Amino acid sequence: MQSLEEIVPAASNNINTKFIVLEKGRIALEGKQKMCLALVADETAAVHFQMWGDECDAFETGDIIRLENSIFSYNRNNLLLRAGKRGKAEKVGEFTMAFVETPNMSEIRWVPDPSNSKIYVPEAVISPCSRVFPPMH
Amino acid sequence: MTTNLTARGTYEAENPIEISLREDFEFLKPQLSPPFPLTVLLTQEEYFNLNKALIFGILTQPHLVKLHIKHLHAIITDGYKSFTCILVNIVNELYAKLIDSVKIQLIWVTKEMVDVLAIGFDELLVALLRQCLNGDFSEGNLWLCLEMVTLFLTFWDCLLDEEPLVLTKALYVFLRLLADHCRVSSNVVIYALKRMEVEFCVLLLRERFSLCLNIGRDLIRLLQDLVHVPEFKGILKDFLLNPKQFRADGFGDISQVYRTKTPNIVPRWAVIGWLLKSCKKSYVEANLKLALFYDWLFFDENTDNVMNIEPAILLMVNSIPKYMEVTHTLLEFLLIVVDNYDIERKDIIIKGVSRALSTLVKKGVIGSLDVLIRCDIISKILREMLGKLVIGHVG
Repeated sequence: MQSLEEIVPAASNNINTKFIVLEKGRIALEGKQKMCLALVADETAAVHFQMWGDECDAFETGDIIRLENSIFSYNRNNLLLRAGKRGKAEKVGEFTMAFVETPNMSEIRWVPDPSNSKIYVPEAVISPCSRVFPPMH
Repeated sequence: MTTNLTARGTYEAENPIEISLREDFEFLKPQLSPPFPLTVLLTQEEYFNLNKALIFGILTQPHLVKLHIKHLHAIITDGYKSFTCILVNIVNELYAKLIDSVKIQLIWVTKEMVDVLAIGFDELLVALLRQCLNGDFSEGNLWLCLEMVTLFLTFWDCLLDEEPLVLTKALYVFLRLLADHCRVSSNVVIYALKRMEVEFCVLLLRERFSLCLNIGRDLIRLLQDLVHVPEFKGILKDFLLNPKQFRADGFGDISQVYRTKTPNIVPRWAVIGWLLKSCKKSYVEANLKLALFYDWLFFDENTDNVMNIEPAILLMVNSIPKYMEVTHTLLEFLLIVVDNYDIERKDIIIKGVSRALSTLVKKGVIGSLDVLIRCDIISKILREMLGKLVIGHVG
């Protein structure tokens, strides 16, 4: 199980983690599939999580979700965490979980590692908090 | 045959308690049917796991329940303490999600535990009473209420001898439930349930009033909600006119009940603090704070009640030091409102808040305003501004 601050963009379904849903965006249609962006976080970091199909209705704000074999990658220039076709998202609890809103792993600019172009490394913080779901205060 | 305890949504992971119970059940399955060994020597862990396996068996295999319970009685060496402890955990963590057949088995085994006077059966009953919900007229909830009131009437003598305090707790629950169940008259199920709840409550009030006194003054409030039920009307009347009839030591007058505080009720300020921390939108939070302080702004001890201004001060004072941000944000809000709510009529507001503060001290809600004014972890500027407000003028 990884904490959110440890996740790095990659083209593989290798992320196992757990987080709480802080905020859900509007459900939209992408092609024929439902899609919904959410702000999620654990005690180390926040990230944008993309729900797909029935997940959009199954998960609510306050749900604690466990992700298995999921992927953190770019989708139309947005860096998102999602279960993906080979991964699994499951509700394991609700309401009580410590979290932070900074850093947001989706709001970091990542560049290929000069010594190994297959690995991404953080280059700069674009925004300390989510720009899609700005904090209240 | 079902092998699940709970019903689960599509994207819902299985509960770890259920997984662990099933694992022990599957692992120990060969030992759960005869022939049983004549002597059993188990380590503590093996003993606990066998308890878990038997619980899973009892809850999911109604057709084998006699076998499992006989097995259980034979292996017990701790007065059923582990067994009831696991059951309490299931009730607290899973009850709402349990499938109906499992709930039926759960109540059955609960009666069995009362019957053998298992250690901890009272906690099990209290846990189940907590699941009898107010304002819930669903079939499942009414069923549980009926099962529980039946249980309390059936085991009346035994509960009275062994764990009389659990009767007091049941009385509190059933009086509250009756306020719901008396509102619906057309439903046959609710009518029958209501009659049994009345029977239980009247029995305890009439026969064992000393136990009822443990509830404190809330008892009177609950009974007043039910004054339209003839039995309770009669009891209230006797409280006033015929208190000796209750044969409770030291009970001579209703005022003695008034003076007894009802324990363990969450105070208003704590609930408001929780609501405040749950606000997601800043304007909602601001509205809540204004509502909390509104009576402060125009307070007049001759016409206003100290109860209306009490939650805000208690929330500020009791949040020190663990929730300092609550104290800070409230105090800051109050000072900003005093300055800005109605600039033209600021003098009225200063007077109101100043009177509110002095009334809170005078009535003993807080010992002194020093808890705020001399509190080092509150910013100095806020403390100075508050100090000026206390004497009724703000610069």
